[in-house]
Formats: sequence, structure tokens, C-alpha cells
Amino acid sequence: MEALSTFAQLVVAGVLTGLVFALVSVGLTLVYGVMDVVNFAHGEFLMLAMYTAVGLALLGVGPIFGLPVVAAALFVFGVIVYRVFVRRLLAGPPEATVFGTFGLLVLMQGLAQAIFTSDYRSAPNPPFQGTLHLGVLAIPQAALVEGIGAIVLTAALFAFVEFTETGRAMRAVAEDRVAATLMGIDVQRINALAFGIGAACVGAAGSLLLLSNPAYPTVGVQYALTAFVVVALGGFGSIQGALVGALLIGLLEVLGGFYLSPELKMVPVYLAYLIVVLLRPQGLLGRR
Amino acid sequence: MRAHLLALGAIVVVGAVAAFGLHSQVTLELLFTFLLYAVLGQSWNWISGYAGNVSFGHAIFFACGAYAAAMLVAAGFSPWLAFPAGALVAGLLAVITGFPTLALRGHYFSIATIAVAALVDAFVRTTPWFNGANGFEEPIRNGWGAMQFAQKTNYVLIALVLFAFVQLATIVLERSRLGYYLRALRANHAAAAAVGIDERRWKLIAFAWSAVMASAAGVLYAQDTLFVDPPSVLGLSVSIDIALIGVVGGIGTVWGPAVGALIYVALAKGVALQLGGTGKGYDLVIYGALICVIAALRPRGIVGSLVDASRRRRGARIANDGAAPVAERAA
Repeated sequence: MEALSTFAQLVVAGVLTGLVFALVSVGLTLVYGVMDVVNFAHGEFLMLAMYTAVGLALLGVGPIFGLPVVAAALFVFGVIVYRVFVRRLLAGPPEATVFGTFGLLVLMQGLAQAIFTSDYRSAPNPPFQGTLHLGVLAIPQAALVEGIGAIVLTAALFAFVEFTETGRAMRAVAEDRVAATLMGIDVQRINALAFGIGAACVGAAGSLLLLSNPAYPTVGVQYALTAFVVVALGGFGSIQGALVGALLIGLLEVLGGFYLSPELKMVPVYLAYLIVVLLRPQGLLGRR
Repeated sequence: MRAHLLALGAIVVVGAVAAFGLHSQVTLELLFTFLLYAVLGQSWNWISGYAGNVSFGHAIFFACGAYAAAMLVAAGFSPWLAFPAGALVAGLLAVITGFPTLALRGHYFSIATIAVAALVDAFVRTTPWFNGANGFEEPIRNGWGAMQFAQKTNYVLIALVLFAFVQLATIVLERSRLGYYLRALRANHAAAAAVGIDERRWKLIAFAWSAVMASAAGVLYAQDTLFVDPPSVLGLSVSIDIALIGVVGGIGTVWGPAVGALIYVALAKGVALQLGGTGKGYDLVIYGALICVIAALRPRGIVGSLVDASRRRRGARIANDGAAPVAERAA
């Protein structure tokens, strides 16, 4: 009974952790799906979002009410980064996007360290700090709010891509760039939009993560690494795949951390990545 | 090729003169660091530049040499044995991890290298044989037998020999079957496979060589700092630094890594002088901006762009990402 309730607790924790990973991963997978770019600076976009949310919180707008503002700010940032930078990378050789976004990672981390130092910055008096008790289960409220946020965000993004005209254009570009151009779709505009929306997703994620995490210059690294694994697992470009992959990775990490050792918690995660890319490179739910 | 050899000869002479002529230990240490990073950058360049498989986990091969040296010394053996021992382990590790992963394209490979490096890191941290997270501290001795010196001159000399060897190997690579095959694979792997180039075989050879070179740099590092632990030789940040050096100077060129190492050392030193120890971050800003500008405007890096410019001046066909050298050879 003891073991069973521990397991139930771990599963709940794993699912909630997985939802947080989904929150960070959906933006990455959208950008990848539309323009074949893995944004290695994705974690640094998250870091920027968290600092922005901290700044808003210091002005009196907490992480929850500040969320739309942060998302909008990141959207603008993403569009600018695409227009000024990523567009040029796409015109170069294929490895230019790897190097370019890697450079962006280094640049943003350096700027954060130079401006904000390595100190941890938290929102003052964040809401949802209690714990919810449901029978034998103890659930941190912040994790619950983050999880609900992840589900809402993923559903909204999925609906946008599936059911709106712009979403259809994005899928068209993802499928065949040249054919989409011939159909009168402005590929540059769709790319910029996708990059902006991907950044906005991370903006929302950063606001929610601030409920349970402080902001610091390298906060994004671990989340981004996990997001790469999640996105590969679910199939690069697949939004529902990212959700499934994230839940799987969340469970693996929490169970691995408990039953192996906290030091080894990432081992099953990375093993999962290697096994999936080697045996099923298109991911669990990916096509092609 | 002659120009490369002349340049290398000049650098070796200047380096040797500096090693004996300079008496500032700080300057000699900088020179040593430059040579070490140039070797690491070149090692990375073989697999990530010439072969086009961008590695973000290169620290594991560096760590092979560093751990080999520290562990052999701890067991009472000569650190010189770490060159063959580290090379063997690094080469095997490259073959074992490269066999399944080298066929992965683009970011799939890059992320796989991060995953492999993280697994190796976790393994070393949790294995008592490697002293886990504590690592190894080498006892202080002196002399050629112990490969430890009170004066930095001898470190610089050993590093210079290693640098010359690695550069020579790369100059040979540029004109060798392996070099042409790698660039052909990078330019268009399907077309290269169609003319009978076995991708896995040639990339494994390049990867193993790359690992062996990084391991040799690891041996020197361990004998200079006399301390080896997981974060200092195995961490993600070490791999990132190696990639940084490789990219800044220019990928797939003989001198790119050396230029990258020069910029790295100059910036690290310059920033530390200007802003003191608290300047952390400003150097990253400069590297980051540099890489962004290079990737956006000059994807072939500083040296690559110069090579292009000189070819253009000579009226030769501009190299289109490795495709041209193959054509040149056929002509």
C-alpha cells in the first residue's frame, strides 16, 4: 500500500513535470515543423521570458496577469529575430541555422549575465504557493496551474494550426515550401509568424514557470535540452507528438530520479532520445 | 599546400623562440592555452567542419586523455602512457558512439552528441573507479618523466609539437582521399553515396581521428592543471567552448581553429584585464555576436571567407561548400 501510494504520487508528479516540458516544447516543434530550424537558443528565449515576467512582477503585475503581456513581447521579439537574423541563416548552407542559433544562445546568455548577473531573481509574492491534498496525493498548486496552462496552450496552438486559414498556410509551407509559394502564400511572412508564435509560447511558458522557479542566465539550458528530446520523441514538427513525448519524458525523469538516483534522473531521458532517433527517426507520432 | 607548410613552419619557429625567450609565466600559460585550444578546435573541425556532423559533445574525448593521465599517475604509471591509452579509449568511444549516430543528419546528430556526452558524464560521476564527482588530483613532481614542470616553457614545447602534428595531419587531410570524400559527403551525401563513397566508413575514420587528437589535448591539460573532475573536462560548457572555437575561426579550413583559439584566448584575457573577474558575460556577448554575424553573413567563417576571397581574386571558380575541390580534382 505504501509502495502503491508512493508510485501514484510519482506518476502525478511525472505527469505534471511532463506538462511543464510540453509547455516549453510546443513552440520549438512549431518552428521546426514550419521551417526545418531547430532553435538552439530556445531555452534562452525562455530565460528572456522569465526575466520579463520578473520585471512585470516588480511593477506589480504578477506572473498570471502578466502572461499575455510577456507572450506578446516575446512574439514581437521572435518576429524581429526572424526578420533580422534567421531569414539570413535560411539562405545559407544547412549548418548555418545550427551555428547561428547556437551563437544566439551564447549571445543571450552573455547579455543576461552581464546585465542581470548570475543571481537568482524571483517574482515577489508569487501566487499558488500552497499544496493541494487529494487523499494520499500531495500536489503543489504551482505545478497544477502550470499543468493546466500547458494543456490550454497546447490545445490552443493545435486548434490554431489545424483550423485557421493562417494555420493551414503554415502546414502548407511545412509540407512544401515551393508549392506553397506557387499557391500565393508569402513564405517569409508565414515563417516570421511561426517564429513569433513559437516565441510567444515560450513567453507563456516562462511566466508560468516563474511560479515555481527563479530566473537566472542559464535557466533555459536544462529545459531546452529536455525540449529537444521531447520534440524528437514526439516527432519533430508534431504538436500532439510534443505533448505525448513530454508526458513520457516527465514520467521517465521522475521515476528514474526516484528509483535510480537523483544524479541519474536524466539517463533514461537521454537513452530514450537515442533509442528513438536510431530506431524510429520520425518520432512516435511524426510523419515521413 | 606549400603555403600551409610554410605558415606552419613559421609558427613553430616563432612558438619555439617564444617558449625559450619569454620568461613571463603568465604569457607562456596563455601561449599554452592557445595551442591547446587550437588542437581541440581542429579536432572538432575534423568531424564538424570537414565531415559536417556538428558535435556538441566533444568534451568526452578530451576527458578520455585527461582521465587517462590522472588515473595512470594515480596508479603509479608514467603520464606519457596516457597518450596511447587515452587515444585508444577515445578512438573506441568514437567508433562505438559514432557507428549508430553518424548517419543521423543535422540537429539529430548534434542533439545525439549532447545526449551521449550527458550519459558519459553520469557514468563517470557515479562510478567509484573514476572517483565519481571528486575526480583526481595529481601529486606535484617535476621533470620530463613525470611530464610536470615548474616552468611553463616545456609545456609550451610539448603543446607546440602536438599542434604541429595536428595541423600537419589536417594539411594532409585536405589533399587526401578522406578529405575529398568527407567534403563530398558534406556537400551532398546522396550524390556521394551514389558514386560509391561509404559514408559510415569514412566518417568513422574521421571521428576516431578527431577523438584521438582531443584526447592528446586532454593529457596535456591534466599535466598542466594537475586536477581532473567531471565539470572541468566533461561538462556541457567544455563541449560548447570547443565548438565555439571551431565555429568562430571558420569550419572546414586548416587555419580556422587556430584563428578561433587566438580570438578565444585574446578575448578571455582582454575581458579579464578590462573588467576584472566580474567581467563574466561580456566575453560570451562578444563570441555570441561574432558567431551570429559570421553565421548570417559569412557562413564559412573568417578563414573560409578569406579562402573564398582569394579564390575569387585568382579568378578560380568559387568553392561551393566543398563541392568545388572535388571538381578541381577531376579537372
